[in-house]
Amino acid sequence: MSSPAAARPVVTVLSAETGQPSGSTSMPAVFTAPIRNDLVQIVHTSMRKNHRQPYAVSRMAGMQSSAESWGTGRAVSRIPRVPGGGTHRSGQGAFGNMCRGGRMFAPTRIWRKWHRKVPRKQKRYAVVSALAASALPALVMARGHEIDDVPEVPLVIDGTAEGMKKTAKAVTLLKSLGAYDDVERVMETRKMRAGKGKLRNRRFKQRRGPLVVYEKDDGIVKAFRNLPGVDLCSVDCLNLLQLAPGGHVGRFVIWTEKAIQKLDSIYGTGETGSSIKKNFVLPKNIISNSDVARIINSDEIQSVIRPIAEKKTWVQRKKNPLRNTEVLFKLNPYARIQKKEVQKKTITASADKSAGKAFYEQMIAN
Amino acid sequence: AAAAPQTPPRPPSSHPSNAARPAMVAKSGAPPVPESVLKKRRATEKVAGERLIAAKAAQKARREAKKEAFKRAETYAAEYRAAERTVIDAKRASRKDGKFYVPDGAKVAFVIRIRGINAMPPKEKKILRLLRLRQIQNGVFVKLNYATIRMMQRVEPYITYGYPNLKSVKELIYKRGFGKVGTRGAWSRIPLSDNRIIEEALGKYNIICMEDLVHEIFTCGEHFKEANNFLWPFQLSSPKGGYSKKSKLIHFTEGGDAGNREDLINRLIQRMN
Repeated sequence: MSSPAAARPVVTVLSAETGQPSGSTSMPAVFTAPIRNDLVQIVHTSMRKNHRQPYAVSRMAGMQSSAESWGTGRAVSRIPRVPGGGTHRSGQGAFGNMCRGGRMFAPTRIWRKWHRKVPRKQKRYAVVSALAASALPALVMARGHEIDDVPEVPLVIDGTAEGMKKTAKAVTLLKSLGAYDDVERVMETRKMRAGKGKLRNRRFKQRRGPLVVYEKDDGIVKAFRNLPGVDLCSVDCLNLLQLAPGGHVGRFVIWTEKAIQKLDSIYGTGETGSSIKKNFVLPKNIISNSDVARIINSDEIQSVIRPIAEKKTWVQRKKNPLRNTEVLFKLNPYARIQKKEVQKKTITASADKSAGKAFYEQMIAN
Repeated sequence: AAAAPQTPPRPPSSHPSNAARPAMVAKSGAPPVPESVLKKRRATEKVAGERLIAAKAAQKARREAKKEAFKRAETYAAEYRAAERTVIDAKRASRKDGKFYVPDGAKVAFVIRIRGINAMPPKEKKILRLLRLRQIQNGVFVKLNYATIRMMQRVEPYITYGYPNLKSVKELIYKRGFGKVGTRGAWSRIPLSDNRIIEEALGKYNIICMEDLVHEIFTCGEHFKEANNFLWPFQLSSPKGGYSKKSKLIHFTEGGDAGNREDLINRLIQRMN
């Protein structure tokens, strides 16, 4: 049971000629999927390894000598030494990683595990999260894109853009959309790479700009591909490495109208599954109402929770009741009476004692 | 108790769906108080009211408990005096007849561990643990029956014990009394600074104050076991003036300190308390 399009939020479509609103289309359900940036990061790190080329040292590097250890008793260390004579090399240590011309420690091998398998479900979940993040201007800005002048996110241009042939037209389009700031940002950040990558066909580094997603390439790729930072992608094969570069969600995406309309059939809505991806339904949020404070203060919850339990703390410093009368009377109220009795007894006892002493004095005197 | 107020016409909620409706301004012209604030206020007032009632009830209960403690202490004081006098009178009467009066044997002993924890044989170690004497200079009250007497005989070299008098029992519990408060696995050693601690732990056995506790221990009442177990093992000081000059570890009858010293335990308690 799909909800009518009118009930779903609407995305304005901007004209590819003028950059002005020319229509609207309903928001695809993908953009409400949960944003699992932790999952995106995990999947991204694994996926990024899949276009690696193996590197290794030569298998025989440092091992192509007939060196043998001289053993003990010759006042030299026991490292294998090159035999023979007549050259500097004879008697030099060989093979060890500490030796000059020896093999390295743990020679890199080509059978290292270069690629990572990622479960299909995870990959799909990650892409879906990245798409949802690209629809939130806050996240796109947080990723670093300059979208202050962009009228709406997600940014959708009408289908005529797919037939664009000239890069100059592409530039004017982006400028009218307010998206050229992001391209300029990329141009400004173009720097020479630090390190050996310079000499390995990776001379320059620059940021990523907008990602243009199209449904059918009628020339749009050729129009946009030379712009610095701009990537292009068909909606049929959305790539996480482009949607979340560096594992960071929120790429600035420019959709064509046909592409964004196709998203509902590719990913399905929450109720229906995808018609293209087998056994795929959009993931659901764990919590649908994120206003937790409002939930806590709602009548439904407040009416059944108990008030805060007062923590009872007893006096931790013990006062000795045998010396501290206040504490004694608190523990034993009758002690007040007992103390009085004792006082009386001592008074009479001392009175008796002094009387007895006086009598004795008198007796002696007599 | 705070009476439930007549709810005034509620100001409209600030939900975005209400943005179209005109906001209802309070009569005074000030901006309306948010509904959530009013709700919270009402809830807080209700809780405060309930707390006040509970506090007043608790105060009343404390006053009653104090009166009850007074009455009980009074009856116990009379009881102890009477018990003392009957023994003395019986002795005098029998002496007159040329006979001998043998008073009842002691029902309660006080046991003090006088030996440390190193080099303990396992069975004796277990027995001391069962008696809750895990540390040197720890003291516990023990009910005297066949089983416990045999237990104490077994560990005689490690303990000294005897029959405490009322003064010893009182002073131990008042000065060094700590209660075992909490649940299994989460016990705390709480000083007996308030009768409420005793009441909460032992109220169901009709022991609600210090004097009740002393009475239960001294006269070995029906709930001696529970009362005694509530008392954490007493952690006594070393005796002022030291243990015996000869050697602590030989039996008391041989001039040492170990074993049963009957009534003379009271002197030791005075020096260790």
